[in-house]
Amino acid sequence: MKSFARLAYPYMFWISIFIVLPMLMIVFYAFSTQGNDVLTLQFTLDNFKRFFSDPIFPMVLYRSLKIAFMTTIICLAIGYPCAYLIAQMKEKDQTMMILLITLPMWINMLVRTYAWRGILMSTDLSSEIKVLIGMVYNFLPFMIIQIYTSLAKMDKSLLFAAHDLGANKIKTFLRITLPLSIPGVIAGITLVFLPAVSSFFIPILLGGGEYVLIGNLIENYFVASGDWNFGSAISLIMAVLIMASMFLTKKLDYGNKEG
Amino acid sequence: MYKFIKVSLCVLLLASTTACSKGEKNDFDPMETFGCDVLNVYNTGEYIGENTLSLFEETYNVKVNYSLFASNEMMYTKLMDNSQYDVLVPSDYMIERLISEEFLQPIDKDVITNMGAITPSIMNKDYDPGNVYSVPYFYGNVGIIYNTNNIDAADVEELGFNVFLEEKYKGQAYMYDSERDSFMVAFKALGYSMNTEDEAEIQAAYEWLLQVDENIEPAYVTDEVIDSIINEERDLAVVYSGDAAYMTSENENLAYYLPEGGTNLWFDAMVIPANAGCPSLANEFINFMLSYDVALDNSAYVGYTSSVEEVAQFLMSSEGDYFENNAYDARVDYEFDEVFVHNEVLKQKLADLWIKVKSK
Amino acid sequence: MMLNIKNYFKELNLKHKLFSKSYIIGTLLFFYLPIVYVVMFSFNESKSLTKFTGFSLKWYDKMLNDSTMLDAIYYTVVIAVIATIVSTIVGTIAAIGLSKSKKIVKELVLQVNNLPMMNPEIVTAIGLMLFFTSFSIKTGFMTLLLSHIAFCIPYVMLSVMPRLRQLDPNLAEAALDLGATPWQALTKVIVPLITPGIIAGALIAFTMSFDDFVISFFTTGPGVTNISIYVYTMYKRINPSINALSTLIIVVITIVLILVNAIPILKEKGRKKNVQIY
Repeated sequence: MKSFARLAYPYMFWISIFIVLPMLMIVFYAFSTQGNDVLTLQFTLDNFKRFFSDPIFPMVLYRSLKIAFMTTIICLAIGYPCAYLIAQMKEKDQTMMILLITLPMWINMLVRTYAWRGILMSTDLSSEIKVLIGMVYNFLPFMIIQIYTSLAKMDKSLLFAAHDLGANKIKTFLRITLPLSIPGVIAGITLVFLPAVSSFFIPILLGGGEYVLIGNLIENYFVASGDWNFGSAISLIMAVLIMASMFLTKKLDYGNKEG
Repeated sequence: MYKFIKVSLCVLLLASTTACSKGEKNDFDPMETFGCDVLNVYNTGEYIGENTLSLFEETYNVKVNYSLFASNEMMYTKLMDNSQYDVLVPSDYMIERLISEEFLQPIDKDVITNMGAITPSIMNKDYDPGNVYSVPYFYGNVGIIYNTNNIDAADVEELGFNVFLEEKYKGQAYMYDSERDSFMVAFKALGYSMNTEDEAEIQAAYEWLLQVDENIEPAYVTDEVIDSIINEERDLAVVYSGDAAYMTSENENLAYYLPEGGTNLWFDAMVIPANAGCPSLANEFINFMLSYDVALDNSAYVGYTSSVEEVAQFLMSSEGDYFENNAYDARVDYEFDEVFVHNEVLKQKLADLWIKVKSK
Repeated sequence: MMLNIKNYFKELNLKHKLFSKSYIIGTLLFFYLPIVYVVMFSFNESKSLTKFTGFSLKWYDKMLNDSTMLDAIYYTVVIAVIATIVSTIVGTIAAIGLSKSKKIVKELVLQVNNLPMMNPEIVTAIGLMLFFTSFSIKTGFMTLLLSHIAFCIPYVMLSVMPRLRQLDPNLAEAALDLGATPWQALTKVIVPLITPGIIAGALIAFTMSFDDFVISFFTTGPGVTNISIYVYTMYKRINPSINALSTLIIVVITIVLILVNAIPILKEKGRKKNVQIY
């Protein structure tokens, strides 16, 4: 069966070109000074010092992680029951429902967010709540699709067996359905949390400009001020932080599985 | 596939008359005259007349590849991938930067015979002395727009940009969300040059912006300001003159004012990159854009002040779309108005400070 | 046993029907509220996106007269379709391969895989742009397509992996033991079992490609513009022709969905008729 492992080789080649190589460039920039020319690169830690010497930058990072965390929790809370209910439907209705949930995402994000701006305009909600609504709206479909996928076509005989053995519904859910859906939940969390941390247009449009997130910072340094070095450093700090937390999540996941 | 989509679009909505019909072909051979038949134009979105490109395509039997950017900085970053464009439309300070980095080639004044039609006072500016590389497209100022029902005109006229410090207008104002424009406002409010490098002045401007943030709690916006002010969500904002011209024409309660302490005078101009694949056609295109009918169509649609003198005068006359619209009538030779100078160090300093203002 | 199952379902259905229906409807309302808003403003008479002043079709007219926008629609659809197909195939194969790889290899590749999702798009965009530039690859349709495939694959893999993990690891071996070729084991045993994951991946890939601005902007070349670039570069002059376009997309997709659902029903009917005739 190990022969199937070879199927991954071309992809490893692919990611080393399209993901690893561009990432290495970012690392180079993060550790160098001034100028975008590869020839004049000079090693420095100044970009990192700059980030941590001013409380504003870590604060923005903290704020971004916080709102991404909140978005993820809300998406999970709304998305799980939704995915669960869809998975209970007739098979044809399931497909229809998933398409219905995906369809709004084919309207450009800016257009959808503009619509939310109009809808929320007359309300008295704080910028944070408005940004949160926009984020949940934008990422919820991903969560639902991922959880649904893990629940769909689940081996129903397991449920019946549990029922036969006298387990009540809650017990059946906790002991069988929930553990089976964990990989989907993890995928959903990944798919919501990662892009949410660095989301960029939603805070601009719904936060009234005063709600700066890390994605805005990075974009700002890359494009508006052309300071690729500092922009790279910020995204590197963010990437390391998130990868560490993802690693911990994975650890928990495996712990769950083995336990 | 392309045809299929286009046809299905036409079938789906019969509202259109011209989209489905192809223009008549003439005998003009662009290959013979220009050596090429494709023109790559790079411009801001919604910054050209509706029929301008198709008219050019029909007249010269060429294809125009029209690409779009959102800001000068984005365009500059994009140019690093060595894409070949024939005509760009950046702003003054960016043109200055492109010239200094040898990104541009001189325009051909023998081809651009309509150059003489341009308003003389907007020629020969510091960003491109003698207009060797650039031909003005639109120009204007940055001014204050306010709702006369809720903002006292006397306050605006007396205080200029310092009206943004008035606590009685708390929650009623917008600030422009870009370090360039907001610091320009602060520098001018304090009576400094907007191109200052003086540390004390920069610090003072930073504190001025913090004070504004505290006193009136403005929302920091860019594009949304137009809609919001017209709909009277808030009453006071800093806007570009071309947008103000549109806004005042949509809502009669709105008034536009240029501070006496001076403001930003800006130019967007057409330039030809050094690596252009089709410079002769590019020069022809620039000349075409300056012809009366094209420039009229262009300016009437976009709403920004035309660089062609007769066109601007017509649009401001009693027959024009911008009759008695003081925003369209840009202020050019005022001693306290300034054009942005390209300054990389200053820009980065201001970018840092601006993020601090917004994150407070 | 059979009775038991039936009872189980009945109980489940009755008790939860009302609650589940209202929950699903509530969620759909949340999803479609802004869409209704978008459609409404496509018929607005003025340029405003927040204040309705009167009914008009002029934004549809403007859209159809705007050749840049029509080009953008064309490129968006073509890129999204090709990128979805390619990234779904490549991503699925890679995920299957990875699921049989050593744990450490798998973990490493999956971590790297997460990078494009985690980094702000601008980072991936500049990275790809520098990559193309340093190899003197001319930007245009091909670089745009490659970039889309590149950022879509991780989403496909992320969707397929959970399904693979649910799979009994001995299934494929059993198939091989029973005389299936590796290819048969792959296509007849593994792929059907992970189909929901593949579909989810394809859906997400299509969505990401359809909606991408930043990466597209920095990896495309002269004359190749997609809907997102068009929308975002309207900058401060955004107008309801964008809403008209969005409405059109909704209408087209709805028609396609209805057709897809109606065809099997019609076929069924046709078959029944045939049966009756004979």
